[in-house]
Amino acid sequence: MPTTLALELIDYLPITILVMMAATFAIANLVLTMIIGPSRTGRTKESTYESGMNPIGTARKRFNVRFYIIAMTFLLFDVEIVFLYPWAATFTNTSTGSENASIYLARVLFFMATTVIAYIYGYRKGVFKFD
Amino acid sequence: MMSLATQGMVLFADAHPMVEKITHLHAEIVLFIATVVVMVLGLSHNAGMRRLCGGVSVVALIVAGVLGAMTPDMAHMPMPGMSGFLKVVIAAVGVLLVLLIEGTVDRAYENTVRKTGVFDGLRSTRGEFYAFMLFSLTGLMLTTGADDLIWLFLALELTSLPTYVMVSISTSRARGQEAGVKYFFLGAMGAAMFLYGFALLYGASGTTVLFAPAGEVSIASVFASNGLGAMGMLGLVMAIIGVSFKIAAVPMHFYTADVYEGAASSVSAFLAFVPKLAGFAALILLLSTVGWTHGELHDSLPDAVRIVLWVMAAMTMTVGNVLAILQKSVKRMLAYSSIAHSGYMLVGLIAGPGNGGLLAGNGLAAVLFYMLCYGFMNLGAFGVLASLERAGMGGESEEAETFADIRGLCATNPLLGWTMVLCALSLLGFPPLLGFFGKLFLFTSAISAGEILLVVVMGINSAIAAFYYLRLVIASFIDEPTAESRAFGVTAFGSRVAASAISAASVVVLVLAASWLMGKTGDAVAPSPTQQVDLTAVDGIHATIAPGGAEE
Repeated sequence: MPTTLALELIDYLPITILVMMAATFAIANLVLTMIIGPSRTGRTKESTYESGMNPIGTARKRFNVRFYIIAMTFLLFDVEIVFLYPWAATFTNTSTGSENASIYLARVLFFMATTVIAYIYGYRKGVFKFD
Repeated sequence: MMSLATQGMVLFADAHPMVEKITHLHAEIVLFIATVVVMVLGLSHNAGMRRLCGGVSVVALIVAGVLGAMTPDMAHMPMPGMSGFLKVVIAAVGVLLVLLIEGTVDRAYENTVRKTGVFDGLRSTRGEFYAFMLFSLTGLMLTTGADDLIWLFLALELTSLPTYVMVSISTSRARGQEAGVKYFFLGAMGAAMFLYGFALLYGASGTTVLFAPAGEVSIASVFASNGLGAMGMLGLVMAIIGVSFKIAAVPMHFYTADVYEGAASSVSAFLAFVPKLAGFAALILLLSTVGWTHGELHDSLPDAVRIVLWVMAAMTMTVGNVLAILQKSVKRMLAYSSIAHSGYMLVGLIAGPGNGGLLAGNGLAAVLFYMLCYGFMNLGAFGVLASLERAGMGGESEEAETFADIRGLCATNPLLGWTMVLCALSLLGFPPLLGFFGKLFLFTSAISAGEILLVVVMGINSAIAAFYYLRLVIASFIDEPTAESRAFGVTAFGSRVAASAISAASVVVLVLAASWLMGKTGDAVAPSPTQQVDLTAVDGIHATIAPGGAEE
């Protein structure tokens, strides 16, 4: 027979406790602030930036759609780095020249290749063109 | 030194199966490379290079189809040959879809470029459109060979996500945008549902591996030895209902008509085949974990799952067919009829693989065969709509959409007219066309599984379906052309007409190869020898499937 990993509901007890702790923390904070926190109000307090900046003009201003494209391109490379970091940290554990090491290297090179493709695509699309 | 090496071995113990897996994925890799090439080609400043997108896609699909046919059987899967067979079907229908989709997104912009001579990559969507289409087909191929929950989820999403964008950019009308948004939000809900189901399946079994070689832990082996239990059952049912969004089955069918109507006809044809096949492949894989016994009769599926599928099948057929009668738009009618066809195919799922001896009793083979038939006849019907157009407001061309638009088509354009007649009759299941054999196969499998009531429901529904499919035949064959319908001419894109005509021809010609194709579907779902040994204990499962799942 194949070995099995039979899980019972009791195994989820730690998760349940964590969820309950999270809920208790959130509710307790809200309730305690209402009960013991000081409550002051006034014109300055109710303004958009209560820290003292004066709001000027409308928030619904038009701005260049390029900002979105730049933000998306940034996200792409940002996420790429997030994945590269753990790879770099664990790659040193492979023995030099072993089959595993080459497979592991090939995987990350493929991953990098997708970034290059995205870069070429963005370049052809004219994302980096400012005129 | 030694400890470092062993540490490495532990960390990368999964490397070797991964390399082995890649040998099953040549078709997908080819499609992925083509996707990348097409994506960049579509942004070329040279109009000739841009036009190459379609050609590159067709070549890649043909190569992928050949590689798919050569895919080695995946011995640890319950049906080792299914993936290879479906890859060939996907490639074949995919080629026709690429032909049909020509000129869908870029026509207006290409005209502008020709006039002004200036090409701006940000305004062109041609490359993306073809790339998304190939991405979706890659996801579909990956779905058919999924042996892990995470793989299955990613593959299903790779199939679906591009289609949301394809719907939105396929027309410049506001309705297309609305359809895209609707499709996206409901699709996200469906994905969330089956993802939750997957999480529960993982919780119940402790592994994400669906199928593994004998002796290793997998969801199938855990369920075979411990039973499903309440959590596993809930997870499986949620996964089934979530995936039913992809096949447009009741209760997740509400988006279908609006989305198919809002998208361009060529994209509707794509939607009616690709997500549907992905959904059925996923359902077959998911249901295989609870053991179709390949030897027992229909009670091999757990009762709760069988009842859910039964109700779903009966409702889907009936709702789809009844609502299809009420439609004025051919596109909406075909959308509701696609719901009904999903219902028919669900019957095959309920029938299961039968007792192994008789091909006619094999419900899974019937589902795959019907999917193949449906791919061609549905593509032909949508293809006729995509091939007819008239000058609309603002110089943009409008595709044919209502019954009035195709009146007297056989007189004004015999090729498209007869394509419509043949595809409609085949969808109806008119003997001697391909659809008839598909439906017959489903009927025989359901009867041999003892699902007599379901067969009766299916028979009644086929009679209802005759009503609206014959309306399609009458409109194009018997009705006289009107001034309104004469306003429609054949599109400038010959490949669309070719795709429709090839589909219509397949509906007739493939009948000659029907028994050979049925044999192929039978081979595709033939059980793996190792799996059969594993499942000898299944009779015992039903005894121990009592709440909580008994320990061995």
